[in-house]
Amino acid sequence: MSLTDIKDGQTGIIVSVMGGKVLTKRLADLGLTPGTEIKMVGRMLFSGPLQIEVCGSRLVVGRGLASKITVELK
Amino acid sequence: MTDEKKINIVLAGQGNAGKSTVFNYLTGLHQHIGNWAGKTIEKREGTLFYNDYTIDVLDLPGIYSLTTYSVEEVISREYIIQTQPDFVINIIDSTNLERNLIFTLQLLELECPIILALNMIDLANKKGITIDHKKLQNLLHAPVIPTVASRGSGLTDIIDKVIDLRREKKICRTPEYGKEIENSIAQLSELLRDIDLPYPERWVAIKILEKDKDITGQVNIKRPEVLETAKLLSEKLEEIHGHDSSIVISDERSHLASRITRESVRITPDRQISLNDRLAAITTHKFLGYLVMILILGGMFLTVFSFGNWFSGRLDTVFRNWHAGWNNIVGTSFPASLGWSAIESVLALVQIAFPYILPFYIILYILEDWGYIARISFLMDNLMHKMGIHGKGCISFIIGFGCNVPGCLSCRIMESKRERFITAVLVTLVPCSAVSVIVFGLVGKYVGLLWALGLYVFALTFVFIVGKISSRLLLGEPVELIMPMPDYQTPRLKTILFQTWDALKEFIFIAAPLVVISGVVIQAINLAGWMPAVSSVLSPVTVSWLGLPSITGILLIFGILRKELILVMLAAYLGTTNFSDVLTPPQMITLAVVSMFYIPCVATISVLWKEYGWKKAMVICILEIVFAILLAGFVKRILDFVF
Repeated sequence: MSLTDIKDGQTGIIVSVMGGKVLTKRLADLGLTPGTEIKMVGRMLFSGPLQIEVCGSRLVVGRGLASKITVELK
Repeated sequence: MTDEKKINIVLAGQGNAGKSTVFNYLTGLHQHIGNWAGKTIEKREGTLFYNDYTIDVLDLPGIYSLTTYSVEEVISREYIIQTQPDFVINIIDSTNLERNLIFTLQLLELECPIILALNMIDLANKKGITIDHKKLQNLLHAPVIPTVASRGSGLTDIIDKVIDLRREKKICRTPEYGKEIENSIAQLSELLRDIDLPYPERWVAIKILEKDKDITGQVNIKRPEVLETAKLLSEKLEEIHGHDSSIVISDERSHLASRITRESVRITPDRQISLNDRLAAITTHKFLGYLVMILILGGMFLTVFSFGNWFSGRLDTVFRNWHAGWNNIVGTSFPASLGWSAIESVLALVQIAFPYILPFYIILYILEDWGYIARISFLMDNLMHKMGIHGKGCISFIIGFGCNVPGCLSCRIMESKRERFITAVLVTLVPCSAVSVIVFGLVGKYVGLLWALGLYVFALTFVFIVGKISSRLLLGEPVELIMPMPDYQTPRLKTILFQTWDALKEFIFIAAPLVVISGVVIQAINLAGWMPAVSSVLSPVTVSWLGLPSITGILLIFGILRKELILVMLAAYLGTTNFSDVLTPPQMITLAVVSMFYIPCVATISVLWKEYGWKKAMVICILEIVFAILLAGFVKRILDFVF
């Protein structure tokens, strides 16, 4: 499932990131690599961005970008 | 002075780690802010005099990595390698240790001597995070010092450490990754031995494994055969891990960062929901978040403009007396009038800068330092995407409400060229303080406050439509929003004052000289008696199409200097401030619409010119003139039905 499918409050683990090298690297630099735990904090209406918690701190991720991150529920 | 007493250090770290606070604390007033050669990115340098040492401090841009993703990252990487600073001070946000360590590892790969500043350690402790900095020091083989930059604590310890360690032979231990990666690195380093490149061999080995374009290109010139081996080795890594080799290495870094964090950090589960957590939840809530945003921003504008009107009215009385005094003492001859118009230009700038722009930025930067502005980006991202940019663009818009000059400059926070340009174009359409003076002074006062607010809605709709159009016209992949969400914190006075000064300084140094020069030139044309000719040339547009008095032709020319001059000069020419005697409500609204959009002011044009070249600046001006005149003409025709 994609990151956008997790419900608020649920935690998932990144399986893979689909996307160009630049994007994947950018995410890796922010700590978003396969195996990382992600907790969904909340999302905005109408395909707005998501707020997630990674390594104890919060990140904002655009919905389009989030849909490229595949996760599995913990 | 001998070289013994001269030290140079570099501050590096991710955004939000408090780098600027450290920089400001260390260098105080001994700062020099310029641009990186050939780039529009700010270069901040300063000097610290400590005991009898002279320490040069350079503040690198806030970045997340040392790959070649953005210009800032390339600049930082090259700077560290080329200048070989005595120390790189890596400022770390202690509440985000793990993420920050990924960057630290990249610095260590560069084999430069680093000192870690565990900044905001107080906030980390409050969140229940205890960092064993001795342990961290042992794991990283680099000095680690806890700091609270906002209070200045720990910063002298860093400088003492720098002085202590500078004589020692700096051995920098590079981080050690997984076995198969280390093997590949070792193999490549061997082949790269004594290659004539300014970088450490191990680092070059990692970079060619990661397929870094820039470094691969350089190796290709010197030793192309190594790349063959590198290709084989990366393919092997890719086979084992199933990802691109660059991702394998990034993964490796983040796993190492996470291991180090696990070993040195203890988290006391703090189940208590703090006030800040609750605040964070409300301000980013699906519905409540927008309500709070409207209240906060509305309150901000209301405060600024009611304070501004009062204060600028006060100043106006004072300056009028000065003018009378000038006429009495110096006279009203041609040179005397020119002299007064130069002074008046400065005074008029003061009248906008202090009553409106200063309080506007103080409030804005309080919100920013508190952590609220990032929430606005989050809330507005969706809407912004419809204009082809992401949520951060909203920050430039808000800054633009104060003054378009810092607004346009702030577009540098956007990642791609395309987005920077779109954002800048849209910022020029945002009604700045000066335009707001016209809208409220004319429409708000004589037609009704609701009409004035309606004009704001109209302006924002126009911005939205132009954004939509330009995102279609300017091809390119829209960049997605990704940014850390800062925790709320108590705003710090020093940071707020510094940032406010930065924004105000841009207004003063860019706008003031231009305004004075062009003010004098236009006044000379006026005194020479050419103005009636100008207004009759423009009358087909102003009178026939827009239905305004012919005098407005001149006003609109003066308005290019500063928009609020339209109102000031209208009063001067008509000899009355009771505009309802001379303008009908539809005329007032039409004039306000023209003033809002017809052209960016001189200062903004010069910023556009500097950042995007004169061609693009001219295109923006011409398009805006044409659009504004067409639009205002239609508005006038519609208003004729209403009134």
